[in-house]
Amino acid sequence: MTTEPSAETESSGYEPRVSPPNSESVELKQLRRRRGGGRKGRQEARATSSAKSVAFLERTLPPVDMLDEAGYAQIEANAETILEEVGVAFQDFPSALELWKDAGADIRGDVVHFPKGMCRKIIQDNAPRSYVQHARNSERNVTIGNNTTVFAPNYGSPFAMDLDNGRRYATLEDFRNIVKLTYSLPQLHHSGGTVCEPVDIPVNKRHLDMVYSHIKYSDKGYMGSVTAPERAADSVEMSRIAFGGDLQDRTVMTSLINASSPLRWDATMLGAATVYAEANQASIMSPFILAGAMSPVTVAALAAQALAEALSGMAYYQLVRPGAPVIFGTFASSMSMATGAPTFGTPEAGQAIHVMAGLARRLGVPFRSGGQFTASKVPDAQAAYESASTLLPTVNAGVNFVLHAAGWLEGGLSIGYEKLIMDADQLGMMEVYARGIDMSENGQAMDAFRTNPAGEHFLGNAHTLKNFESAFYRSEIADNNSFEQWEEDGRLDAAQRANVRWKKLLADYEPPPLDSAIDEELLDFVGRRKSEMPDAAY
Amino acid sequence: MPDDVNTETEEDFDDEEIDLSALNDDDLRAQMMDDLYDGLADEIAEGTNLFLSRGWGPDKVLGEVLVEGMRIVGIDFRDGILFVPEVLLSANSMKAGMAILRPLLAETGAEPIGTVVIGTVKGDIHDIGKNLVAMMMEGAGFEVFDLGINTDVDEYLEALEKHKPDILGLSALLTTTMPYMKVVIDTLSERGIRDDYIVLVGGAPLNEEFGEAIGADAYCRDAAIAASMATELITERRKAA
Ligand code: B1M
Repeated sequence: MTTEPSAETESSGYEPRVSPPNSESVELKQLRRRRGGGRKGRQEARATSSAKSVAFLERTLPPVDMLDEAGYAQIEANAETILEEVGVAFQDFPSALELWKDAGADIRGDVVHFPKGMCRKIIQDNAPRSYVQHARNSERNVTIGNNTTVFAPNYGSPFAMDLDNGRRYATLEDFRNIVKLTYSLPQLHHSGGTVCEPVDIPVNKRHLDMVYSHIKYSDKGYMGSVTAPERAADSVEMSRIAFGGDLQDRTVMTSLINASSPLRWDATMLGAATVYAEANQASIMSPFILAGAMSPVTVAALAAQALAEALSGMAYYQLVRPGAPVIFGTFASSMSMATGAPTFGTPEAGQAIHVMAGLARRLGVPFRSGGQFTASKVPDAQAAYESASTLLPTVNAGVNFVLHAAGWLEGGLSIGYEKLIMDADQLGMMEVYARGIDMSENGQAMDAFRTNPAGEHFLGNAHTLKNFESAFYRSEIADNNSFEQWEEDGRLDAAQRANVRWKKLLADYEPPPLDSAIDEELLDFVGRRKSEMPDAAY
Repeated sequence: MPDDVNTETEEDFDDEEIDLSALNDDDLRAQMMDDLYDGLADEIAEGTNLFLSRGWGPDKVLGEVLVEGMRIVGIDFRDGILFVPEVLLSANSMKAGMAILRPLLAETGAEPIGTVVIGTVKGDIHDIGKNLVAMMMEGAGFEVFDLGINTDVDEYLEALEKHKPDILGLSALLTTTMPYMKVVIDTLSERGIRDDYIVLVGGAPLNEEFGEAIGADAYCRDAAIAASMATELITERRKAA
């Protein structure tokens, strides 16, 4: 059952991007203006997003390390000590304790104590360095691991907010809208999971509507339900139907399993994780730590604890099914010592993303962290600053799977329609940033210098004419016009401009094709499962 | 300047032992309020016993020293001067004093501040907020029985039966577990014991309307509000009785 790490995955994945010398310079000189369809053609071309529609990012930008070898080694040693001395609780889940016992761990009550190096070895012997999550549309398959980055939207918010309607409990309609917008935004590579909670649907049935919406309204990859093992099983079954009746061991979901820090996995999460591992589906085994409350306050301590938790979770995954794809997750935030409230976009959290990403690279597994976080209630300056302060470390650290990449507000309590649009715009910029510096001949543009006398502008230069359209990321949200122009356009701020944009995207939305027989079978399944159980409040 | 450093620290933190028994009542009261503020549980226990030995009634020690001291702690927490770990220490000190006073208060038949049973509901393991609430309530002098996380209705019922609290506190952080609060409240109603308790609910995804809709007595947006709401509603109820 072990998934063979492919040859490609053995390299670091960060190769400098130097194209072989070619005849580009000759081409340049011969460049002729071609017919571009006149006004109509140009209008159409310019109306489309400047964000590249790529399935996922392939970074050439090398990751930034915030620790040296000695620093990483110390944290790894501390994590092993924690695993051995303190141990990790696998609560109310006897089958996990059995697996651990057979693997040679020391079980005391429900706390598992791991001999040093045990978890690391289980993971390195079995877990893939990267894997492909298949999407309904194979062009949207994402590779997760090594030098790739995948952006997925916000997760888990009970409330939704937009400028017109303010903040309210989210509904299934909001859920569908967010899935549709995510589908329409090329900057998001993945449809996400519980993009918001459809609070209007009974608790025990929500997952059916959520998974169906991802399949129906998008063709990007998605996440399954984790709030109960049977809901995870339903997610697997619906995916089987959606992918033509047989998954053939393909991984088509990546789901979120949170540790109940400090040093504890709870039965709900373990139950869901077990279902997914058995079906060869991927999970993110993710410590989510509000430092101060759920770990000591320092970054080095948080890192050791998160590493210990992630190691125990990922190793458990490999015990359930060797080779099942698993992601090392870390969501590090801190608790305001003054009030108890969770905080976001802080410098310490940025440091934690870097350190944890480095630890994951050393272990050799895909890594999830970061996003665009804020505690702000509205898409204002605080929201933008805090989000940017998380996104840059996320990209610089080389995170592979970025949940909450767009839409997050209010510490995750709310998803913002405008925030989703504004964040996606930033993600588009990151696509360019992460691509790294173009060192090809065209990138060096020596011909441009040779054909342009000193002191003369470059606007009419052949190199400029050849490259200008795609040279710079063109933001759909930023306003760079004169004051007067901005005034004439209605004095809109960024959030108001985003408001116009999400409405247009929704109005223009067209669903991806879905085979009608598959759709029917899915609807049957959803209908049947709903009728099998009475509405329940938990 | 560097020469001053040593003397400065000595002046800043006057660490010398204070003999509480040598203080007169006014000074002892002032010192205990400082000790509560600084979270010194042993000193609070010692001071409480001293006052009792000087003939102060337990209700007087409680009202004039401990509750008053914690009121100030509460104000400075609200104003961002005291931080959460400090308030935790203060609350623990209050608890140490209460442990001495509570049996005496019961003997004299004085009305206790109140008893609280609190827990995070079934299916939910979020407990940071609930722990802060329990801390603030202890700080306000309540006796708190914390049922922990993932609490089902039978566990609540059992605890209500056993501790006969004034207040039942329910915490939930998930929209998937919030509805269970209603299950608990409905069960109380079914058994005809709903009105025996003040039911307070809280958790970030709740709001005022939700609290009303499920039949709670109040929704509390944070721990400080929870403690003051508890005091307020108990006072109201006792007046009405
Ligand atoms: C008298 O009675 C009262 C009175 C007042 C009361 C009261 C009771 N209870 C609270 N109050 C009030 O007073 C307190 C103090 O001022 C306040 O308490 P709070 O709890 O609000 O505030 C605390 C001081 C600090 N706040 C918190 O501690 C909660 C912060 C957030 C970020 C959060 C955390 C930390 C965690 N989480 Co979770 N988590 C989120 C939260 C998002 C958010 N911003 O709230 C939320 C609630 N979680 C969510 C999710 C999805 C999940 N979480 C999960 C797990 C966890 C952690 C274990 C990682 C951790 C909890 C650790 C712990 N020991 O509690 C999972 C569920 C696990 C389970 N079985 O329950 C999981 C399902 C994630 C997953 N896929 O694995 C989302 C809600 C989804 C929903 N269905 O509604 C969420 C909004 C974040 C998000 N966007 O995903 C008041 O509300």
